[in-house]
Amino acid sequence: MATFEQGSVSITVDEDGFMMEPEAWNEDVANALATTEGVNDLTEDHWKVVNYLRDYYLQFGVAPMIRKLCKQTGFQLKEIYELFPSGPAKGACKVAGLPKPTGCV
Amino acid sequence: MSKPAKTHKIKMMEEQLAKKLNRQVVGSLVGCVHCGMCNDCCHYVLTHPDDPKMTPSYKADQVRKLFKANHDWTGSVFPWWVGADKVPLTDDDLDTLKDIAFGTCTNCRRCTINCPMGVDTATLNRIMRGLLTNVGVMPEGVRVVSKDQWELGNQMGVLKEDYIDTLEWMSEELEEELGHGGAAIPLDKTGAKVMYAINPREVKYDPRTIKEAALIFWAAGENWTMPSEGWDNTNFGLFSGDDGLGGACAKREYDKARELGVDKIVISECGHGYRSTRHEGVNWSGEAEPFPMESSVMTMLRYIKEGKLVVDPTKNNQRVTFHDSCNNARSCGFYEEPRELLRLVTTDFQEMVPNRAEGFCCTGGGGAMSMSEYTPRRLKSGEIKANQIRATGAEVVVTSCHNCVDGLGDVIKHYGLGCEVKQLVDLVANALVIDECAVMKNRPAGAPRPEPPVVPAAESDVAAARVAAVAQPLAGRRILVVDDEEDIRTFLVTVFEDAGAEVMEAADGDECIERAATFKPDLISLDLSMPGKSGVDAFVELRKTPGIQEIPVCVVTGHPEFRQVIYDRPVPAPEGYLNKPVDEGKLVSYVAHIIEIRDERAN
Repeated sequence: MATFEQGSVSITVDEDGFMMEPEAWNEDVANALATTEGVNDLTEDHWKVVNYLRDYYLQFGVAPMIRKLCKQTGFQLKEIYELFPSGPAKGACKVAGLPKPTGCV
Repeated sequence: MSKPAKTHKIKMMEEQLAKKLNRQVVGSLVGCVHCGMCNDCCHYVLTHPDDPKMTPSYKADQVRKLFKANHDWTGSVFPWWVGADKVPLTDDDLDTLKDIAFGTCTNCRRCTINCPMGVDTATLNRIMRGLLTNVGVMPEGVRVVSKDQWELGNQMGVLKEDYIDTLEWMSEELEEELGHGGAAIPLDKTGAKVMYAINPREVKYDPRTIKEAALIFWAAGENWTMPSEGWDNTNFGLFSGDDGLGGACAKREYDKARELGVDKIVISECGHGYRSTRHEGVNWSGEAEPFPMESSVMTMLRYIKEGKLVVDPTKNNQRVTFHDSCNNARSCGFYEEPRELLRLVTTDFQEMVPNRAEGFCCTGGGGAMSMSEYTPRRLKSGEIKANQIRATGAEVVVTSCHNCVDGLGDVIKHYGLGCEVKQLVDLVANALVIDECAVMKNRPAGAPRPEPPVVPAAESDVAAARVAAVAQPLAGRRILVVDDEEDIRTFLVTVFEDAGAEVMEAADGDECIERAATFKPDLISLDLSMPGKSGVDAFVELRKTPGIQEIPVCVVTGHPEFRQVIYDRPVPAPEGYLNKPVDEGKLVSYVAHIIEIRDERAN
């Protein structure tokens, strides 16, 4: 466990930089976490992805399949990778305040 | 002060250990002389030089102590000397053991192959993991994933309908890109020849590799299918040491393949998935090897060799290097094939050093990607890999393992290397010249696919020449085979001639020198132990004689112990060294590789 601090944001994260207390997430946290994933400015498109991931996680307790993410947000797979260079699992999920996805990722 | 009594868990671990003791395990338990050779092999030791707890022998000693205390006479005669008096007693000790077994070793086996005593330290560490898992002590990440794999049949808890939905999605995208139908992924197709098993990471987060594989199977005209169940080629049993889970995962794949009546399982580029499905799973599940199983790397290479796929390497023009997955290279001896394939589909391949069986771990092996608590140490140990990657100047690191993709991705990000990670499937799919592939050439009359455009003759010739070069990797090469045994000469001559080479034979050292001068071979395959002038003497003379001293030499010997003798000579070392018996496929690709390197240097 570690503390991630940036500006006014101070959150508890795991050793891979994912939030340990997803309920502490807010937009400032998302902006701060995004900088660690090579995204310095969260655009409307980024927020569409982040909000979907967030809502799905709060409802089901897991990250959605990439299929669902693309279907619901209308983005193509390659667009997700353009938005989040580290990909949906490590990039987008981290910014959305989800815990680290389980398994070989 | 009296010692606490052993807890129930410790007693269970001792009982369990007794069941794991076979000859190889006992050999590894008693064989270690603590010489320290393994220290220089381990990426944890090299990056934590002041921490003795990182040494492979220390990690293996954790099991060794239990063994000595319970099963070895030394433990009862002088327990203080062999560590038998320091066995774990309390459940707190188990947490320490967990951190050692899961957090300081990726079971990459680099220490194992470099141990002069043949001690399999990685197996001992896996046994410790298994003993702990059996009493419920394991990192949370491993527990969650193992549970999903037991209960839902795949390590990421993907539901069947979501899996099928994703395959349909990829089919639609593929057909849309091709501009016509007919390329959809066949699901549960009875009577297909090939069943393709993947890593759940592909379906859950990054199905681009599924689409690429589908394109490749389609273009090659393969009769293939993806199964609706038994599709997860990964296996957390390998990581947790739980042979029961290992067997269950592998059996799901075997059972489904049998049900569909396929000839073969093709395993997508996943190092531990390949090892678990192709090798370990057969033992864990107690099944006789049911049918051929191969890595998709072999499949793609074969399609190109057979002319079913035609590729244009100039479509992948970036500088690439190759990272060997520990499981593929060290545990399964499979490292020439990806290189052969890489040379066919890229134009600028730079070897990472060390490589093949000696390559260092990506840091993500042994399930490390699922154990965040050890990430800082893991990333620190990645300094070695980072330096190696940096030295190649590569823009793309290619690997044949999903775990390595993520492990390397972390290392690249942490050390600011700025390169991409790709798999061979990405590069092959990108290099395809679809209009020249089997599916377009063999399509039945009146089929609804568009006519392939007329390819200019010159380009077709280039493609044909490319295929020929693969089918006969030694075409136009001259090889001198030196061996005193006629049977072996005949074998080697046949193998080289079949690969397209012109071959001359020599039966001893004197003939070798004489024919090297007259025949001017591109390479000499040299036996060491021969009557008259030995191979070692002939080798030294070759190296010292102007006119023939530049000829590459590949030693092929039944005496691996001569390696040191020949490398100690005050002349440049041989370009290759193979032990008999030699696998003919390996021999050809190895020799072709040596000649290629010589050509590259000459240019």
